[in-house]
Amino acid sequence: MAASQPFSVALQGGLDKSSNTMELLTKPGVATRLSNFEISTRGGYRRINGYTQLGDGTRPNSSNEILGMTVYADGLIAASGTNIYFSQDGDSWLQINKDSVAGGGDNFSTFSGRSALTRTSQGKAHFAIFEGNTTYGEVIITDEGSGVKPFYFKMTGTGDALSSRTFFAKEITVSGTHFPKFCVIHDKHLVVAGAATALNTIFYSGTSDIDDFTSSGSGSIVLDDQVVGLKSFRNELFVFCKNSIYKLQNINNASTIAIVPVTKNVGCVDGKTIQEFAGDLIFLAPDGFRTIAGTARIGDVELGTISKMIQPVINDIFTNTVIDYEFSSVVLRDKSQYRMYYSGSAEATSNSKGITGTLTARGFEWSEVRGIQAPAITSGFNFAGKEKVYHGDRNGFIYNHDTGSAFNPEGVSTNILAEYQSPDYDYGDFGTLKTLDHVKVSLRPEGATDPTLRVRFDFDTTDRIQPPDVSLETNDPAIFGSSIFAATVKFGAAEAPLIRQPVQGSGHSNFFKIFSEDTNAPYTINGLYINYRPSGRQ
Amino acid sequence: MATTYLTLTNEVLRELNEVQLTSANFASAVGIQAFIKESINRSLNDIANAEPQLPFFAVAASGGTDPFYGNVTVASVAGTRWYTLKADSSSITTDYSSIDWDDFYITTINVSGETAPFVSKGLKFITLTDWRRYLRDSENADDADTQNHAEPKYVIRSPDNRKFGLSPIPNKVYNVHFYAYSAPTPLSAHGDTIVLPDQYASVITARTRYYVHQFKESIQQAAFALDDYKKGMRTMKSNLINPQPKDMTDDRVYF
Repeated sequence: MAASQPFSVALQGGLDKSSNTMELLTKPGVATRLSNFEISTRGGYRRINGYTQLGDGTRPNSSNEILGMTVYADGLIAASGTNIYFSQDGDSWLQINKDSVAGGGDNFSTFSGRSALTRTSQGKAHFAIFEGNTTYGEVIITDEGSGVKPFYFKMTGTGDALSSRTFFAKEITVSGTHFPKFCVIHDKHLVVAGAATALNTIFYSGTSDIDDFTSSGSGSIVLDDQVVGLKSFRNELFVFCKNSIYKLQNINNASTIAIVPVTKNVGCVDGKTIQEFAGDLIFLAPDGFRTIAGTARIGDVELGTISKMIQPVINDIFTNTVIDYEFSSVVLRDKSQYRMYYSGSAEATSNSKGITGTLTARGFEWSEVRGIQAPAITSGFNFAGKEKVYHGDRNGFIYNHDTGSAFNPEGVSTNILAEYQSPDYDYGDFGTLKTLDHVKVSLRPEGATDPTLRVRFDFDTTDRIQPPDVSLETNDPAIFGSSIFAATVKFGAAEAPLIRQPVQGSGHSNFFKIFSEDTNAPYTINGLYINYRPSGRQ
Repeated sequence: MATTYLTLTNEVLRELNEVQLTSANFASAVGIQAFIKESINRSLNDIANAEPQLPFFAVAASGGTDPFYGNVTVASVAGTRWYTLKADSSSITTDYSSIDWDDFYITTINVSGETAPFVSKGLKFITLTDWRRYLRDSENADDADTQNHAEPKYVIRSPDNRKFGLSPIPNKVYNVHFYAYSAPTPLSAHGDTIVLPDQYASVITARTRYYVHQFKESIQQAAFALDDYKKGMRTMKSNLINPQPKDMTDDRVYF
């Protein structure tokens, strides 16, 4: 045999769907398939966590779709069907869209006994929380059904039991019969927009008077375009329209308040995709994910597309004429990660998709998610200062997002199918036949894992017999700080083992696929070391 | 159990760290696997070409007609000189690959109507050149004269290698016994077995590796494999063709 040659690859760069096969030869660290993996904050590609049922799995409103959620106080507010609910634990839900609540608030029993203030034709719900000078803040809820006025809710009292708290609820009149779809708190004002009767008008409340649109400091502005989303960012309010983006400046100064166009060429596809992330605003435009980077220069705005690497995935979303996707998005702050989920209203959970974008030192890196149906998702810090992430599905279930080792749709533990696929490696010379000797896979398991390694030669051609799959089983790693003596503790296992796996076959190029479909612990693929033997040029 | 085509192929594939075949995909092998399959048949032919009279290439077991130990018997016909070596062969491509021309034997034993004393003797091989020079003209002149037909003394090989001739032309029926060897049947199905004993399967794999390393342009490895093959051939030949005691006698008398 000819002398063996080494080839090392550190996995970085994320999913690359835009480069052609020859371009990818120069980018060994990227992935051509990265499904249910995320870019790890410690480097490499990590299989994502699963999700678990919130509480005992009790649904707030039977099988009605979860239309929106927000973390509030020591629990969660969820809109479902024509109602809105609050729960501390997911075991029991308190309906909060109540009518005739006393101006000074109701106690628990009175509030529970009030008649419902039905949220007629409730659609995708939007939430805005005005922290103000209250225990938990005040919540405003609008919805894309545009059939009712914005809903106001406040809870006070710090006792753990809801029975010790006081509840406030009412509808807010904006202007006549305008029922805005979108809401946001911006610089002591509640700003709403998108009413079906005034699609291109934004209304803002009085200063520090979020439930009154007639008091001092209130007003309205008519734009050229239809509003699809609002986002307060630093001292400006960005107004996302279908085909343009504006920013509202100086809302507290009647003489200098102004609407300034940011762009009249690019709009936002769906307001649910807008998130403040990493000192910027990210949103889905028709040509991909974009950021609006506020810079030090006053009035200067930079627009940039950040998802060129996954442009074909984006294109698939917009060229799909069969499915009308519903979007949702969330930011996982501890992972520097933006996630957008999208699925058709009739699509099964297993077919539901998502895109994750992680901000790394190299910029945004992307991956895909399959099997999480999340028409509603939220993250936020609760009253105890803990970040909570929840998502809800179309059957009315709510889940703890990004936790556990399995998907649990409707409480049924389901395997996570995770796939990483490298580009074809030519080892520096596409013309030389290479016989693979062995591969060392650098993994960082978070428990017992058993991913599978697949090798395919020459772009998976059928002109070669391809080798069988092999297992990359790992034992529990030794993780200090989480061991239980005399129980499940494991000693002697490496934290990031280098698994040596003999492989067979030859070709001019080959790719590696590492995949798993199980409920084992997550693992991170750090990199690959390949030993191969070059032979003739053929 | 003799080594199968699949086992042999996978042995080479394993040595080369290539993907092994299964009985399911053996027939549809492509690429290097197909090349190795072909090289195994090529190697078998190489062995047969190098030593066609290795015992496992014999067309049949010897001694089928005791006490005569040839493995092919052809009955002569009075007045006929030339006989096809392989009676049912239509062309040279299906003929025996090798004949032991030094071991032809004629006898009237077991010939219908013959009684003792029987004819039973070996035939001396003479070259076509000698036969043409000394015997052909006179024997052909006598061909029409059955009175001059006689008991054959010599066996000759036809120029096309397909027939043997008897000289003189036989005067009656004799059973001619001789040894014949056939070319190995190409292996085809995954379960086909090689004719070599298992202990010599490595000679085939060595020769196959020689071809595969050439294919992969691993010249040094090809040279090593060729050396293995040559050593294997020497050993096989020594064990199977010349196993008799190697001693010499000298009957010269010195005065």
